[in-house]
Amino acid sequence: MTALRLHRELTRIWASEPGWKGWFTTVNHNDLGRMFIVASIVFFVIGGVLAMLIRAQLASPRSAFMAPETYAQVFTMHGTIMMFLFAIPLIEGVAVYLLPKMLGTRDLAFPRLTAYGFWCYVLGGSLLILSLLLGIAPDSGWFMYPPLSSTLGSPGINSDFWLLGITFVEISAISAAVEITVTILRYRAPGMSLDRMPVYAWYILVVAVMILTGFPPMILGSILLELERAFGMPFFQVENGGDSLLWQHLFWLFGHPEVYIIFLPAAAVISTILPVMARTTLLGYGWVVAAAVSLGVLSFGIWVHHMFTTGIPHMGLAFFSAASTLVAVPTAVQIFAWIGTLWKGRPELHLPMLWILAFFATFVIGGLTGVMVAVVPFDWQVHDTHFVVAHLHYVLVGGFVFPMLAALYYWLPHVTGRRRFFKLGETAFWLIMVGFHITFLAVHWAGLLGQRRRTHTYDEGQGWEIINLIASIGGFVTAIGFALVILDIVVNAAVAVRGSRDPWQAGTLEWAMPTPPAAYNFASLPEIRSRDPLRDDPALPVRIARGEGWLGDASRGRRESLTVATATGEPAQVVVLPGNTGLPLLMAVTTGGIFVGMLLKLYWLVPLAALGVATLAARWAWGLGATRDEGPVEGRPGLVLALASESVDPPGWWGSLFLLLADATLLGSLLFGYAFLWTVAPNWPPPTWAEPGLLAPSLALVGAALSVTGIQLADLRLRQERGPWLGFLLGLAGSVALALAAGMVLLGTDPTAHAYNATLWVLGGFVVLHAGLAGLMTLYLTCRYAAGFVTGRRIGEARIVRLWTDYAAGTGLLALAAAWLPGAVA
Amino acid sequence: MTDILRISGPLTLWLTAFSAVYGLQGLICSPRWAEAGLDLAAGRMALALAASLVLGLQVAFLLALRTTRFASCSGFVRTLSLGLSTVALVASAWTLIPVATTSACL
Repeated sequence: MTALRLHRELTRIWASEPGWKGWFTTVNHNDLGRMFIVASIVFFVIGGVLAMLIRAQLASPRSAFMAPETYAQVFTMHGTIMMFLFAIPLIEGVAVYLLPKMLGTRDLAFPRLTAYGFWCYVLGGSLLILSLLLGIAPDSGWFMYPPLSSTLGSPGINSDFWLLGITFVEISAISAAVEITVTILRYRAPGMSLDRMPVYAWYILVVAVMILTGFPPMILGSILLELERAFGMPFFQVENGGDSLLWQHLFWLFGHPEVYIIFLPAAAVISTILPVMARTTLLGYGWVVAAAVSLGVLSFGIWVHHMFTTGIPHMGLAFFSAASTLVAVPTAVQIFAWIGTLWKGRPELHLPMLWILAFFATFVIGGLTGVMVAVVPFDWQVHDTHFVVAHLHYVLVGGFVFPMLAALYYWLPHVTGRRRFFKLGETAFWLIMVGFHITFLAVHWAGLLGQRRRTHTYDEGQGWEIINLIASIGGFVTAIGFALVILDIVVNAAVAVRGSRDPWQAGTLEWAMPTPPAAYNFASLPEIRSRDPLRDDPALPVRIARGEGWLGDASRGRRESLTVATATGEPAQVVVLPGNTGLPLLMAVTTGGIFVGMLLKLYWLVPLAALGVATLAARWAWGLGATRDEGPVEGRPGLVLALASESVDPPGWWGSLFLLLADATLLGSLLFGYAFLWTVAPNWPPPTWAEPGLLAPSLALVGAALSVTGIQLADLRLRQERGPWLGFLLGLAGSVALALAAGMVLLGTDPTAHAYNATLWVLGGFVVLHAGLAGLMTLYLTCRYAAGFVTGRRIGEARIVRLWTDYAAGTGLLALAAAWLPGAVA
Repeated sequence: MTDILRISGPLTLWLTAFSAVYGLQGLICSPRWAEAGLDLAAGRMALALAASLVLGLQVAFLLALRTTRFASCSGFVRTLSLGLSTVALVASAWTLIPVATTSACL
């Protein structure tokens, strides 16, 4: 087959639907990556306009520009949009677009999940913007501390928009994290062992695992606060055994890792672009990988440094002060690796490089003020002042936005296939750099002079007037700079001249394809023998296009890609990916029904929408697999591989594993919250402990045992090509028994009486939900077996259900033990 | 997958242990500790034991990753996991210094 004919065949197989319909049915990572990026930039513009409103308000003392209520909504939404609707989705968008190309594969592991995540993000984000337009936006600050955000401080619907809207949006982050993790670990080009992986992929792997373990505490906090607001379950009300500090712990358990979730992708971009700009390779690849992993984990041990003023004993403060200073070490390792790379290379000052230099200057200042606020006595002085506002902007704008602008200009020729012609970007660079530093150096100063953050105005005569005016002028200069960047991008994308394939002479695989890229990325998947395959083999793109690599034959007429062994990169399976469908959009809209039902107190809509989601999920999964055994298929001439659907560890098993990691973190956070209330909250112990008796624990034990052994038996019988019916039945009975036992925790317990009772309800609800889910999955597996999709060879689905069932049984027993143990001991 | 565990294990142990020691300190300073008939001296002892256990585990992890039984076949993963295990040991020692140097509940 000639290269052109192969291209036409693959385009027919992989292309999105033409016209407007394609926007709603595409599952291709090229489309969805671009859609994520554009949507996040739209939200950035909205957040930027809000920033300008804030600076207009603070430009003069006693300003009547905004009422206090409006100002509260504006600064809350500015922070919320920038953190949740701009930064994280932009990271996801860039990763969704780039990762498969850098890894040498054709798409992400779960294309429909990418689309589902995108639609959840857009719908959830739109919900929040709608609240802003209606004047009922969240107004308690972007970290929503109760009691200000509870019904006591915010009786309206404002806080509900935040709690439900952000949780809806975070479905997208969790979805992206699951598929990024599985893609990096399994979907790489053959031969790409861990040490040959692009450094960008290492960073994004760390970030994805951080999202899976960092977001659940905040999702749990949002659920608990919404339960308190909607149903009076008093998790954060002191008089009923709650404690508002619990929210701060849960929020910052997420919030501090979030800073690194935002910084590490920027560091990934720098580690990728800087060596190319310096015409060399990254100095200390192994050190940089070690630093990224260290930073990722260490960032989870410093959440309390946001709570230094909450009355924590000295030892607790010292633990977190020590841990906070520790993170400077891996950060410095990266900075020195980058400086070393510049030193050994021959740097060229293109626009992406300018932005990287801006990053160095700005982020180092932000890092130094970070060390200052890690020192407890200094933090006590500047807490809640504009000094902290300036510090976080230096870190987030310097450490994230500037590198992302470098990324934008670096990969623009890849996305558009055009060479930048109009040079507005350089002017924009200087406007932003000068404007930003004027603004936030001044804001540091105002903070040191005592100006409080989140206060809509200030009196004359405190020495802050001229500082604020200067900061506001700088802010508007910055905004003009960002507007010029957008104009520059649009103009260059639309009318600039066609460019060459690899304009920067980079060595990574994303440049080994024509630009803009075809929907299938690679006509055949390359065999990788080094970390910079394109630099080492300039003829690689031609051989890829000729179909001389893996899967270079499109005759099977379906979307095929490869999985590899995690560590060595040995080819393992051929995966068949799903085609275009509107199902993800429909599923996202239906999921939205759950959140809208809660928001508008239309509680009848919640179970209805949940039922819709379950039905669509079943429909979603039903379309996978086959009813006949196909056997091994040819991966390249003379070499055959098993199909993923005929393997014991299909991608779905890996996806489930990492999704359950996030779920286990949520349960861990709940148990942490329970222990926190038990040890620290006033008004404990509760008036009465729940007494388990004998029946409920026995039922739970029998249920867990049945569900685990039942599905194991079914698995065994399937492998022996014998009927698994008894196993399915036992598994189903076990799940029902476990759910019933958990239901007995709820009986006779008033969840509004005390935080302990409310916690019992959440623990019981967790078990009912998971046991129910395991039961539904067993029922689904039974139907799949009856329809001929599951056999001894096609055992993957049974393995996935077994994973979920084992997990439901294990966590169910743990949660119920936590619920019953205090009562049993008492 | 085993290589991923070798890489992620030591620092995950640090995080778990660090959080557990912080939790223990919270328990010692809470009314529950006194209700159980224990005093601050017992609390200090418990904290010191916990910190010693953490350091012992980190040393054991580091030594295990050097043995042929637990080390990775890949040179890159072996070096990376040993480096991260050393980081975890240093992090444990550094972040648990307050157990020996500051007051527990003031």
